[in-house]
Amino acid sequence: MATTASTDAVPGFRGTYFGRIKNAIISIMEGMSVTLGYLLQRPITIQYPDRTPKPVKDTLPERYRGILELDMKTCTACLACERACPIGCIKIEVVKDKETKKRYITRFDIDIAKCMYCGLCVDPCPGGAIRHTNEFEGSTSDVQYLVRRFVPPGERIEPAKPKKKEKEEAGAEGS
Amino acid sequence: MTEFITEEMTLNMGPQHPSTHGVLRFQLTSDGEVIHSVKPDVGYLHRSIEKIAEKVTYHGFMPYTDRVDYVAAMNSNFAWALTVEKLGGYQVPERAEYLRVIAAELNRISSHLIMLGVMAMDIGAVTPFPYFLRERETINDLLEELCGARLTYNYIRIGGVSSDLPDGFRDRALRFLDHFEPIIDEFNRLITYNEIFVNRLANIVIIPREQAIAWALVGPNLRASGVKWDLRKDEPYSIYPQVEFDIPVGKGEVGTVGDCFDRFIVRVDEMRESSKIIRQCLDKMPEGEIQSKLPRQLKPPKGEVYVRSESARGEMGYYLVSNGGLNPERVKIRTGSFSAMAIMEEVSKGIMIADMVALISSLDVIAPEIDR
Amino acid sequence: MERLADYIVYNLPFLQQIPRVIVDLIIMLFFATCMLLFWVALFAGITSWVERRVAGRIQSRIGPNRVGPQGFLQWIADGLKCFLKEDFVPAAADKKLFLLAPYIVFAGMFAVFVVVPFGDGLIISNLNIGIFYVLAISSLVVVGILMSGWSSNNKWSLLGGMRSAAQIVSYEIPVSLAILPVILLTGSLGMQDIIRAQGPYPWQWFAFHNPFTFIAFFIFFIGALAEGNRTPFDIPEAESELVAGYNTEYSGMRFVFFFFAEWANLYIIAALTVTLFLGGWNTPAHLYTNLFGLLHRSVDVAGTFVFILKSLFLVFVIIWIRWTLPRLRVDQMMDVCWKYFVPFSFANIVGTIIWMVLADAAPVLGYVRYILFVVGLMVPLAIAMKITRNFRLAKSEIHLNPFI
Repeated sequence: MATTASTDAVPGFRGTYFGRIKNAIISIMEGMSVTLGYLLQRPITIQYPDRTPKPVKDTLPERYRGILELDMKTCTACLACERACPIGCIKIEVVKDKETKKRYITRFDIDIAKCMYCGLCVDPCPGGAIRHTNEFEGSTSDVQYLVRRFVPPGERIEPAKPKKKEKEEAGAEGS
Repeated sequence: MTEFITEEMTLNMGPQHPSTHGVLRFQLTSDGEVIHSVKPDVGYLHRSIEKIAEKVTYHGFMPYTDRVDYVAAMNSNFAWALTVEKLGGYQVPERAEYLRVIAAELNRISSHLIMLGVMAMDIGAVTPFPYFLRERETINDLLEELCGARLTYNYIRIGGVSSDLPDGFRDRALRFLDHFEPIIDEFNRLITYNEIFVNRLANIVIIPREQAIAWALVGPNLRASGVKWDLRKDEPYSIYPQVEFDIPVGKGEVGTVGDCFDRFIVRVDEMRESSKIIRQCLDKMPEGEIQSKLPRQLKPPKGEVYVRSESARGEMGYYLVSNGGLNPERVKIRTGSFSAMAIMEEVSKGIMIADMVALISSLDVIAPEIDR
Repeated sequence: MERLADYIVYNLPFLQQIPRVIVDLIIMLFFATCMLLFWVALFAGITSWVERRVAGRIQSRIGPNRVGPQGFLQWIADGLKCFLKEDFVPAAADKKLFLLAPYIVFAGMFAVFVVVPFGDGLIISNLNIGIFYVLAISSLVVVGILMSGWSSNNKWSLLGGMRSAAQIVSYEIPVSLAILPVILLTGSLGMQDIIRAQGPYPWQWFAFHNPFTFIAFFIFFIGALAEGNRTPFDIPEAESELVAGYNTEYSGMRFVFFFFAEWANLYIIAALTVTLFLGGWNTPAHLYTNLFGLLHRSVDVAGTFVFILKSLFLVFVIIWIRWTLPRLRVDQMMDVCWKYFVPFSFANIVGTIIWMVLADAAPVLGYVRYILFVVGLMVPLAIAMKITRNFRLAKSEIHLNPFI
């Protein structure tokens, strides 16, 4: 296949012959003075991780959404966070002991590898048990270590008793 | 001039090409440096976000809207919130509206910073890019204080926002704007009016007014062609009617209206306007609630709605069908980058490979926004 | 060089039994290796570190600062890394040409060092056609680049190679034409003669000799940038358009050779500009060497020092330009060459001839050089003023410490 080469006048030029030389000299000098100015200024690089004045973790704002953390002592096993999570990275299993009629959490896993740090699970938590930390370094040698297990396998933990008002709310959600 | 016959060659630009901004592929047919035809090949970044919407709740889809356009995630959040609120008739407290606009305009600035820096880099000047990333870093810090994340904010909630301004945010934001406005002038001196840069962009790929409208260009790309159309003014939403700002349009300052330079300079001017909006919002912001009382599990009534809003890349529309259940029945996202891809084939005949690079970055396409 | 060979052969009698040609060859190879190891490699390596540090600071970054003190050994680490990499040849490449190309590029660059002066008497070979030799031998680089672009069997590489060939061939013309006024004024092609024809003081340099050489200086410098594929003429390796241009497919040591050549070329551009237009190794002390004959050697050392200092300053300017300016488009690059540089260069030659005739008639024209020197001083002054204004407008703070 062969076509003819385009020989149209190439766009992109303006000004007179000497005007363009003048423009080029002035604008190039302007540009070069800006860059030389920055050469004389302090760089803004933060030398993460080892040469920062204090650890980056401590400089993060209060609201920073880092890796999720769970306080098992205040968790009421209301499952609101599991329901709110859009990807399902939170897995909670609750069993009811037939003899004592008590609920036990047998599994509370948060898969950090799946988590997208959206913060939607933190909002509905009645007791503030699940929350974001300032931790953001999650590198491990194997992806399975990224599943945070808050209930050790084989154990069962009694959930905290919800306060009355929150209990109603939690109940309303289930409907 | 003598016409000479040469063989055409097919060039594969992308999906791993430095100037295609993500995974985007163009099939170029060129005669040496001169391009004869361009075929955009989209879909390398398809993550079926629209399908995911059918499986998650209305609240739960908000983090996914971050990923539609990750450079201007806040605007994308905003559009989704507006859509669901319109369908369900949910009210938003006034303070939340101001917070939304502040966050969205900050994000618009940071998105334009990326675009302008990347465009300068594609033209060959590497230095403006880190300068602009440095400014963007300050915006990221501000937004991080506000909502806890730097890129995928998930700040706007249906019926409000997730958190109020932190202490000292107002001062820090104003200090940033005071610092930032002279930086725009410095940037103009460094690159915008550089003779080489101007010659690379002036009169390159002119999209005239009629063509821009016919091919459904939106946002800054449309305004660069001289069309004064901005949804913030022409179809006002949120509190935009209460703030004063101008809509910069392409004037053909160094070439013809609608060339690559106009698409560049329109965004530079828009950053000034956004900064003006943020200043006004910070002054006018009333006290009050930031989130209206809504049930945890949203069930908007049966029906369908299309809401559009002005994102950093122009009109971002969400078409939503609800069946009255917990999940949307169907969501369709209309994005500016996708329609910009359509015009690519039409306008890129006879340009050079270097102009092609300028065209891609001047249209400010973001690959995830094309494919969703 | 010949004198040195004579001296060695005279002092080592066993060499006299071997044919003189072979002895010359061995001595030359020995000195070439020394040159490569102790100057070119060292310079190219350290320049790569300097460029990255300067670029870093220009961009508000730091640049490499981890390997060795302030990252000074970064270039050795990079070189070692590339040395250990696989020498990869694409399956569809033209293997012989592909393997040969980097050496040709490097040889073309390295051979120029034969006539680059370092001081009074410190030159490998003071050829009487010095500058002509430079123009001739540096054209070899085009062959290598074209070869690499073609043999890679990659369309982007090919485009890069073609761009490069078109660019270097075009810019040879204004560069050679810009050298002609200097040759006219000197009456010699030898590098040392050109330097001796200038004086130690700036207004005695050829750059300020007359308005035509003043323009020729800029044409030569910018044209040399274009020949060395540096920004704003880095079109052959335009990373945002052609990925990496002609060296896209190269890896390991062959890749290093391209960059070796590029950074060595930096010094060549600077050294040639200093030789032709900026007074070379002339120091005020050279005027008085007859008075203090004994101190001749130390004057030489001072001259070398001055020469290298001037060259390094120009290297910095080249780096500074690179990290400021955008890239021209390929047709605009041709435009600049043929519509701006070539006509101006021709005008310069004619102008210089007329000037020489007039200057003989009217010695008062000799004072023009002082005016031109003041004009030349205005450039750094204007930049300094602009920087102060930028600092005032953006409320920036000065921070001169280069060590972070």
